[in-house]
Amino acid sequence: MSEMTIPIGPQHPALKEPVGFKITVEGERIKSLDLDISYNHRGIEKAVEQRDFNQSMYVIERICGICSHSHATNFSKGIEELMKVDAPRRAQYIRLIVGELERIHSHYLWLGVAGHEIGFDTLFMYTWRDRELVQDILELISGNRVNYAMNRIGGVRRDLDEKVISYTLKKLEILAERTKFYIQLATTEETVIARLGKVGRLTHEKAKSLGSVGPTARGSGVNLDVRHDDPYLVYDEVPFKVVTADNCDVLGRTIVRAGEIVQSIEMTKWALENLPPGEIRKATPRLAPSGEVVSLYEAPRGELIHYIKGNNSDKADRFAVRTPTLANWPSVVEALQGQNIADIPIVVAAIDPCMSCTSRMTFLDTDQMNSWVWTWNELREYGIKWYRENKGISWGD
Amino acid sequence: MIELDVLLVLAYVLVFPGFIFLFGYSFFAEWFDRKMYAKMQNRVGPPLIQPFADFLKLLTKEDITPEKVEKVPYSLLPILAFAAIATAFVYIPVFVTTTPIGFQGDLLLVLYMLTLPTILLFLVGWYSRNIFATIGAYRAVSQLFVYEVPLFIVALGPALWAGSWSISDIVSFQQSHYCLFLIQPLGFIVAIMCLQAKLERIPFDIPEAETEIVGGPLVEYSGRKLAMFRISTDMLMVVGSALIVVLYLGGPSVGFSLESLHIVVQAIIGFLAFLVKTVFIIFLLSFIRAAFARLRIDQMTNFGWKWLASLAFIQIFIIIGLRVVMA
Amino acid sequence: MTIPGAAFGELLRSLVKKRATVLYPFEKVEVPDGFRGKIHVRDDLCIGCSRCSVVCPAQCIDMVMEKEKKVVVFSGKEIRREKHPKVNLLSCIRCGVCEESCPTKPKAISLTKDFSGSSTKADMYVEPTVP
Repeated sequence: MSEMTIPIGPQHPALKEPVGFKITVEGERIKSLDLDISYNHRGIEKAVEQRDFNQSMYVIERICGICSHSHATNFSKGIEELMKVDAPRRAQYIRLIVGELERIHSHYLWLGVAGHEIGFDTLFMYTWRDRELVQDILELISGNRVNYAMNRIGGVRRDLDEKVISYTLKKLEILAERTKFYIQLATTEETVIARLGKVGRLTHEKAKSLGSVGPTARGSGVNLDVRHDDPYLVYDEVPFKVVTADNCDVLGRTIVRAGEIVQSIEMTKWALENLPPGEIRKATPRLAPSGEVVSLYEAPRGELIHYIKGNNSDKADRFAVRTPTLANWPSVVEALQGQNIADIPIVVAAIDPCMSCTSRMTFLDTDQMNSWVWTWNELREYGIKWYRENKGISWGD
Repeated sequence: MIELDVLLVLAYVLVFPGFIFLFGYSFFAEWFDRKMYAKMQNRVGPPLIQPFADFLKLLTKEDITPEKVEKVPYSLLPILAFAAIATAFVYIPVFVTTTPIGFQGDLLLVLYMLTLPTILLFLVGWYSRNIFATIGAYRAVSQLFVYEVPLFIVALGPALWAGSWSISDIVSFQQSHYCLFLIQPLGFIVAIMCLQAKLERIPFDIPEAETEIVGGPLVEYSGRKLAMFRISTDMLMVVGSALIVVLYLGGPSVGFSLESLHIVVQAIIGFLAFLVKTVFIIFLLSFIRAAFARLRIDQMTNFGWKWLASLAFIQIFIIIGLRVVMA
Repeated sequence: MTIPGAAFGELLRSLVKKRATVLYPFEKVEVPDGFRGKIHVRDDLCIGCSRCSVVCPAQCIDMVMEKEKKVVVFSGKEIRREKHPKVNLLSCIRCGVCEESCPTKPKAISLTKDFSGSSTKADMYVEPTVP
């Protein structure tokens, strides 16, 4: 059969957000593919540079709806490090509790979406029904189901009292029971294993060399977890295990995420039972000193990097975000080599893509009302040229 | 065979239990399927009038034909599919054990009529000149090659046992003896799976995989033509389950003979039995749809030849062996 | 070990269980205390200090001049309020910073538990009302 080129996206029922693929197939086998992720640039980094720290917290929270607390906490702890202020211990515990609850909710959402991509709508309905338990807990703690707005520079905004803690512990028991059912379903149901197993192969070496992070890398046996390697908040006190799997395919990533749900439930229970007393906020200075800080966080999708540069004012001079999904896109191109068309939705969904959480770059010419994007090769050439001219370093060709 | 004159035959074919009844019953079947599917997922599901409302809505939508397609086949194929399925239904006895137009060999006619919609779906995908439609079309034909053989074999089994090629004779045999499902349980199970594949529902949803190839062969259709295809799919579900009911579960017969009652009462009881049995088969189809994920085309081929075809062959050899032993 | 019917038991149990759907708007949805809903401003407590307008991250609170100065009691003293806040509900992100920064006790500007947001153009703005 001759070759055909299929467009998947930017509008497609399999994709939740716009990303463009042009896939060349022969029969059902994929021969080559082309990736375009430059849709819907929002200008968040510019918006943050024009607001002071506490106001830009709300912009940063809305970079992504599913990992909003990750972005907000990462930014707060970065600014606190720049100002050399430590948030009180009770505030760190509360940030950890909300962060782990967010991880549970994100992985449940992913289980549902993966079920929908392989045509198993029953799993989708069941997981999203049980995700409502987590949403109710978060609504009681923070007042909203997404975009919790719990963080402030120097601490958190709301405290947890006895009623909230006992409600949360009760619901987490139910959630642990339901998680056991989903793990059993994902690992023993015949058709699910037929669709998830041996699909989207990403070997250990390729995962490391392409720079994948999060469950994508841990599903190929790479032991990378920021909570373990570089502990922040109080992750050095809370007992947990890093979950890895050796399958190197989509089933491995599923097992990693399911294991992380179990670990997060345990961590939240431990933190709720061992919550230290004390205040929840500390006063911080209004101006941040000059300096640069790089802040790392383990978001549900992987390692999140914020770079903040202060210049002795109440606004950030430069703010840059490197999201985990941007690091995982090259592994999709690698994992789709030689697969069937039927595997495209699940392999793309296996990295848990969040286009809101993918850094995009666009050029604007406001005089001519023109906008354009660069390809990967053009960006690389520009980088090599800049370092050779300005720093005298030659990176090779 | 009952002697009827032409007008009654026309009423049989067009109103009850022919065209109009099939139309209404397929709306009910679609509603029942969607309601059971929703209840198994802990949801509410649509109200009773929903499939009819969907049909009316599609009839009012704009009917767009792409520029470069050939207009005559493009417009004609939905009507042909609709006609093929509606024709197949009149040969299936619905309220008494014989039909007025049945003949020896109408089982084969019904099976061939039911194969026609899939071939027409392939032509639809081919004529749509859209890449997703082309992929869906060749997937539909690949799936057809896998499940047709087991389906024909397990339809052959009851005919062998009852000793006739006429559907009415098979139903009469089951009324006087026993349901054929008790003798050929493997055939029943294989028939259910093959019907699920013929209807292109999960786990054999491959030609119309929504998350992979958008709409499959029907991606370019809209308005009246799409409404025609959707109602054809529902009618195929009714006709397919009616076929399994008459072959394996005894059709409109109940376990004991009703000769002593009035002919109208016999008809009503037979009709109710038929309804209950077809609703049971549709429930089984919904259950299978809710319980599995969608397979890939190569996995489906594997499954079909390894399990469906071999079980069908085992069943038919058992039947032939038993016949030889008993003769 | 793979079995082809891992979901069968759960499917049959769900047939007889009560539905998980809440038939909104015929059934009411319970929201907990502390839910961040629509803004409400109390006419008898607001002193017009403009703190809420300054800290709002979405910049959705405008201070408008009073037609006649309203007398409000604040920590024992009588104050003549000169302006009052006008909140644009479409821009408000329900973050609650205005409520935290309000100096009166009880808070003049607060977030209610009202989450349904569809309205006509007439009630897109919230101005002080008596509770």
